[in-house]
Amino acid sequence: MNSVELINISKHFGSLMANDGINLKVRDNSVHCIIGENGAGKSTLMKILFGIYRPDSGEIRVNGIPAHFRSAHDAIKLKIGMLHQHFMLVEDFSVIENVILGNELSKGITLDFDKSRQAITGLIEKYNLSLNPDSKVSDLNVSEKQKTELLKLLYRQSEIIIFDEPTAVLSPVEVGEFFKIITKFRDEGKTIIVITHKLKEVREIADDVTVLRRGKSVYSVNRESLDIDVLAKEIVGELEPATALQKINMGNNDIAVEIENIVLDKGGVRKLDGLNMKLRKGEVYGVCGVEGNGQGEIADLIFGLEKYSSGKFITFSDLISLIPDDRIEKGMIKEFSVGENVILKNKNINIISKNLIAKTTSEIVSKYDIRLSDYNAPLQSLSGGNQQKVIFAREIELDNDILVFAHPTRGVDINASAFIHSVIISERNKGKTVLLISSDLDEIFFLADRIGVLYKGKIVREFSSNELSSKSEEDVDVLLEKIGKLMIGITVEE
Amino acid sequence: MELRLKNKLRENIISITISLILTLFITSVIILLIGKNPFDIFGIIISEVFGSGYGLGQALFKATPLIITGSALAICFHASLFNIGAEGQLNLGAFVMSLAAFYFSALPAYLLFPVVIILGFAVSAFWGYIPAIIKIKKGVSEVITTIMMNFIAMALINFLLIEFFAVKSTVRTEKIADWIMIPKLSAYFQFFQGSSVNLTFFIALALAFAVYFMLYKTKFGYYIKAVGFNETAAKYIGIKNNRIMLLSFLIGSGLTSLVGLNFVLGYKGYYEFGFSNNLGFTAIAVALLAKNNPIGIIFTSLLFGMLDYGGLTVNTVIPKEIMFVVQAVVILSILSVDKIVNNYFQSKD
Repeated sequence: MNSVELINISKHFGSLMANDGINLKVRDNSVHCIIGENGAGKSTLMKILFGIYRPDSGEIRVNGIPAHFRSAHDAIKLKIGMLHQHFMLVEDFSVIENVILGNELSKGITLDFDKSRQAITGLIEKYNLSLNPDSKVSDLNVSEKQKTELLKLLYRQSEIIIFDEPTAVLSPVEVGEFFKIITKFRDEGKTIIVITHKLKEVREIADDVTVLRRGKSVYSVNRESLDIDVLAKEIVGELEPATALQKINMGNNDIAVEIENIVLDKGGVRKLDGLNMKLRKGEVYGVCGVEGNGQGEIADLIFGLEKYSSGKFITFSDLISLIPDDRIEKGMIKEFSVGENVILKNKNINIISKNLIAKTTSEIVSKYDIRLSDYNAPLQSLSGGNQQKVIFAREIELDNDILVFAHPTRGVDINASAFIHSVIISERNKGKTVLLISSDLDEIFFLADRIGVLYKGKIVREFSSNELSSKSEEDVDVLLEKIGKLMIGITVEE
Repeated sequence: MELRLKNKLRENIISITISLILTLFITSVIILLIGKNPFDIFGIIISEVFGSGYGLGQALFKATPLIITGSALAICFHASLFNIGAEGQLNLGAFVMSLAAFYFSALPAYLLFPVVIILGFAVSAFWGYIPAIIKIKKGVSEVITTIMMNFIAMALINFLLIEFFAVKSTVRTEKIADWIMIPKLSAYFQFFQGSSVNLTFFIALALAFAVYFMLYKTKFGYYIKAVGFNETAAKYIGIKNNRIMLLSFLIGSGLTSLVGLNFVLGYKGYYEFGFSNNLGFTAIAVALLAKNNPIGIIFTSLLFGMLDYGGLTVNTVIPKEIMFVVQAVVILSILSVDKIVNNYFQSKD
């Protein structure tokens, strides 16, 4: 029996066919991954299933019965729930208040908080969510906010739950926890649909996989016959020639940035607590750690946005590029066009003409293979991967000496990730100083010459290039485990 | 690529046409309720405003300060600074201009005019500086502080007039020398005979174009908009937010003083208490209607100028306050129709 059947679904936006005759069958009581690159049509398809968009043509069947959604409300009535990429929480409300909002239990004319609390604490315990129901949402970290969203779905007794790239904002440890929760849902009889573009996750949790490519469903497979290489090919269609650049040692590895014993407080909270780091020219320094251990503050400190209360900070150059962790909120003016966003950072330009914008846009677009239909369109109308490329292109084109990348490939598809990685290496080879902040250990391992593990505002252990280079696979696993432990504050015997 | 812009233009024209028809309709109903024939009233307004050079000139005269203040405020609004303090800022500026023109009349023209304009600008800008700095340093909303600054400005002017500068038993300053007066357009075009419209109208147009250029064609303008859209992102892009906010507030409030050219130097020859008649607030509507685009502000100002003068022409038949109602209806209908038209085209795409 299929919980969800999508038959021949099409949806266009302007001239773009976002979904082009997609077929999808989701078995009852399974975890079904939908994988594809940015812009493949995953999110659109799910928004159709959740009633946010109406398809141009095609049929939706829920539990075998044709469904016609006029809005998300209709989908919710059929016990479909969706966990969006961007949280929809009232920051000033507590967890409980957020969860019951729209589904309040009442006692006469007042809200019955006791009963709601019982139900919610019950759910928290049952799924081991480790969340305080009375915390204000604005005080929660990303993972806890996600759990709050999850609670909302559970509270409404959703049976079919759609997750839109749920792990994009989580650290490795949190991802593990999250998968346990998903599996528990499935074992209980719920049907789970996960949008992702990470092969690793598919291998871990999927019962079935459907691949979307350029708006079409091109491949479906179940767990037993899953072959990751085949899957990767189906996702990309044609694999672009591998551009695995070799790291070249330039010999001149002078110190470019020196951070000594920096203490930095923000809003009464100690964010950096005696941070020590030396960044060198022609080297990628990787910082890994669980989110919220001071990563953002390191980036801000180097970029000159934060004042520290004690310690020493020396940099040999103030030509610094920063790709911030939150692209939409920090990296760009989303209402501006591609060209305008790029010009904004060009110190040599004071008068901005239409021609200049067009010229800048076409240069960037062709050099970095950015896909957009309209040069004047605001940056927010581009797909996430393309937005990231624009910001990336802007920062690289500035040709600055020091490059700080915070999660450069978060939410970016396979091809674009590979491209970004190759640019990072080529910048390093040019003698640039690169600081890479990432929660993706594979990425850090692949790119970094040295790795510092950040925990509670300081580097608790630094791995030199000797320790990292040319290891056997077992050694790498041991190393990974060691780093994973250090990241959550467990001291490791050396 | 140009398609989107063309569509936008088409949308705007459609939405403005619909809202004007809607306004005409609602106004007609109101006039009918008063017991008059709307066609008669509209007939009078149209023939008075467009039928003579005088009428047209008066409408332009009324539009001039709106263009100036609207463009000035657009700078603040693009930075997401909601400056409600134009009324106080422009009154102080015009007041100081009248004093400067009177007391420095011994200066040669090439010195006098810069001194008058700079002093007026400086005082208006200073009145904007206070709320700006309170916002930047302490995070207090400029909406509240600028409103309060209006009261203080008006009380201060009142005090200074009565204690020191007013001509006896009036609320106005001394009349400035005739040679300092800005020429009326009728001096060049017979057509405008008798009307108060003066060269300031062209200064206002030039100002609107200059502000447009600054906001849409310079890096500085993009910085202002960037800060207005997203302060956090602007900071990470390397923009000095506080500096941009302060500058847009200073320039925006400073420029409001130029209305003094129209009224003091171009019309009466003195500052008179209450001359502005809520100009600083009408200008907010004028700017918002034009989506803070100074070129659009020229047109919305002309519309309001016509309504303003048109109201006076029918004053004998219906209360002139009816035109305030019309202005309010125009604002409401443009804002709502615009939304509806936008949504319609979006759903069609």
